[in-house]
Amino acid sequence: MIHAIKVAQEERLFAGKSVSVAVITRGRPPGYLRVAFSAVAGLLRGLWLTLGYFWSPEAIVTRQYPENRATLQLTERFRGNLRFKFPNEKAQEDHAAFIEQLAHETQTHAHVAADLVREENETRWYHNCTGCGKCQEACPNASIKVFTRQGEILEDREVDRFVWRLDSCMFCNACVQACPWDAIEMTGGFENAVYDRRLLVYNLNRLAGPRINYIEEEENPEVRKRMVERRDRYGGQVPLNGFALPNLPPVPMPADSDSRAVDTDAQARLT
Amino acid sequence: MTVHVRTLDELLHAPLEADSELTTQEYLVNMGPQHPIAHGSLRVVVRLDGETVKEVIPVPGYVHRGVEKMCEHLNYRQVIPYTDRLDYLSAIMNNWAVAKTVETAAGIETSDRIEVIRTIMAELQRLQSHALWWGVTGMDLGAYTAFLYGFREREIIGEIFEETIGARLTMNYIQPGGLMYDIKPDFAAKVKKLLPYLQDCVEQYETLLSGNVIFQERLRNVGIVDGARAVALGCTGPVVRASGVPLDLRATEPYGAYGKVQFNVVVGSIGDCWDRYYVRLEEMRESIRIIQQLIDGIPEGPYSTIRYNVELTLPEGIHYGQVETARGAFGVLIASDGKQEIPYRLHFRSPNFNNLWVVTAISPGWRIADFISIQSSLDLVIPDIDR
Repeated sequence: MIHAIKVAQEERLFAGKSVSVAVITRGRPPGYLRVAFSAVAGLLRGLWLTLGYFWSPEAIVTRQYPENRATLQLTERFRGNLRFKFPNEKAQEDHAAFIEQLAHETQTHAHVAADLVREENETRWYHNCTGCGKCQEACPNASIKVFTRQGEILEDREVDRFVWRLDSCMFCNACVQACPWDAIEMTGGFENAVYDRRLLVYNLNRLAGPRINYIEEEENPEVRKRMVERRDRYGGQVPLNGFALPNLPPVPMPADSDSRAVDTDAQARLT
Repeated sequence: MTVHVRTLDELLHAPLEADSELTTQEYLVNMGPQHPIAHGSLRVVVRLDGETVKEVIPVPGYVHRGVEKMCEHLNYRQVIPYTDRLDYLSAIMNNWAVAKTVETAAGIETSDRIEVIRTIMAELQRLQSHALWWGVTGMDLGAYTAFLYGFREREIIGEIFEETIGARLTMNYIQPGGLMYDIKPDFAAKVKKLLPYLQDCVEQYETLLSGNVIFQERLRNVGIVDGARAVALGCTGPVVRASGVPLDLRATEPYGAYGKVQFNVVVGSIGDCWDRYYVRLEEMRESIRIIQQLIDGIPEGPYSTIRYNVELTLPEGIHYGQVETARGAFGVLIASDGKQEIPYRLHFRSPNFNNLWVVTAISPGWRIADFISIQSSLDLVIPDIDR
């Protein structure tokens, strides 16, 4: 320290109040030689501190993204992409196990295997949403639009398409807080770079239909099936509906297009 | 009294005259909106005679988004994420300003727990903001190492924010009537573990930068602004405190849990760049002190006193509330018509806008390299100026 710095505590009257202040004062300027000496000493001290990292590289706190993509663990409350909660856990687990098995058989990665399945397993996509539109009201910049429809079996409004605009969302979490049914969550994905911005507006629900508990009250599986209707990611009132993207493979729907019947042609090509 | 406000056009077309003995010419040089020293999109037109600054003309507005106008169409909960985007380094304090104003106007009670958590979070954010400022100042003045060290602490505090809130920059954490999430059970232990480390870091800052003779020579006695002038220009925060005025809303009109804790308002003696630098370093120590006093006794209770979907309507009239952010007093003025859930008019009094005009007052006469020191010592965040 070239100039001696003193921090003195005192009481001062300010705005009719006694405020305890710490006053920073400087000592007398030192002579030339002393400045020169302490300048060199100050520089060396700084260099020594930096040099310490060569001995203890574990002190470096920078996250090595994207090198650590495979092991990256985001916190539980991380506010990433908005998504629906799919409470039918058993069906989810069954599906994951099936995909894993398929990946093992075809010797590919899980997301490639997920692309192979073509037929429906709707129970996996049962959701908590009633289409009440509280999230749409809470959104500060109109990133959510909930389309509802008149239910066929239950005479009530139910969610048809839940369109989320990732391109205008500011991840404030208002929709999740406003939801009275615990239907949506903000977590997971954050790697959203795409070549066409139309890909950033999409449906979150996979089924148009009532809330899961109304479906599960119904005993007859045939009626259950008629209650819901499949909805894909880029169908309906979104900019990409009906368009094909030039020079790009078909609209990617990796984890969403599920089913138990495997596309045998694609499987043959892989193996 | 009439005041003639000169337009940018008039300023730029004023006759250029050099007054040095050499046959030189004055030049108008644009610094920004895209320039390494401009932290963001701030355009500053500098009238130069050789290397000497004759006049500084700030031209704000490159990040103007009309936030206040937008807020006239949003309810009070929806206003809060927009305040994150003003002074993004004091997002939590900005949230607090709106929440505090709405709570006072609507008569919403909060609990001790909420206020203590708010205070701890705000002080963590102040530490984070000052750490970043310290690094950026070092980088502006040619010490790139400092930048990386400043970001190291920012990263560590950011991880605590990410665990509790889910975001690192635009938090939207403090809401009318409470908080967005409760803290996690291990929050207090983690923060407590962090405090000695942060204390060491401040010591490291002293070693790395404060003791550096080049750095000191570039800050000491440069850009002096005395207390009366700083007050006249409407400065707040470390800028006015460096000039010896102990204006700190945390001490003068205590809010949150600041009334319960012991801390000093750090003031400088001269008001030069070095005082502004050192006031912030000392403030980091004071912030650590505040957290140390609060972290042990976080009271129990709910994290919000009102439900999220409850209607928030303020009584008719004008409501004002302010908090001390890392850069000064951030005020929110809400005019409510008493009927709607949205503000009739809304205005943010942002600290950076007033702090910016110090450069016009104190830069003339200094060299262009000193101008960098001056601008850097003011710790400007441009989106807060432009709003």
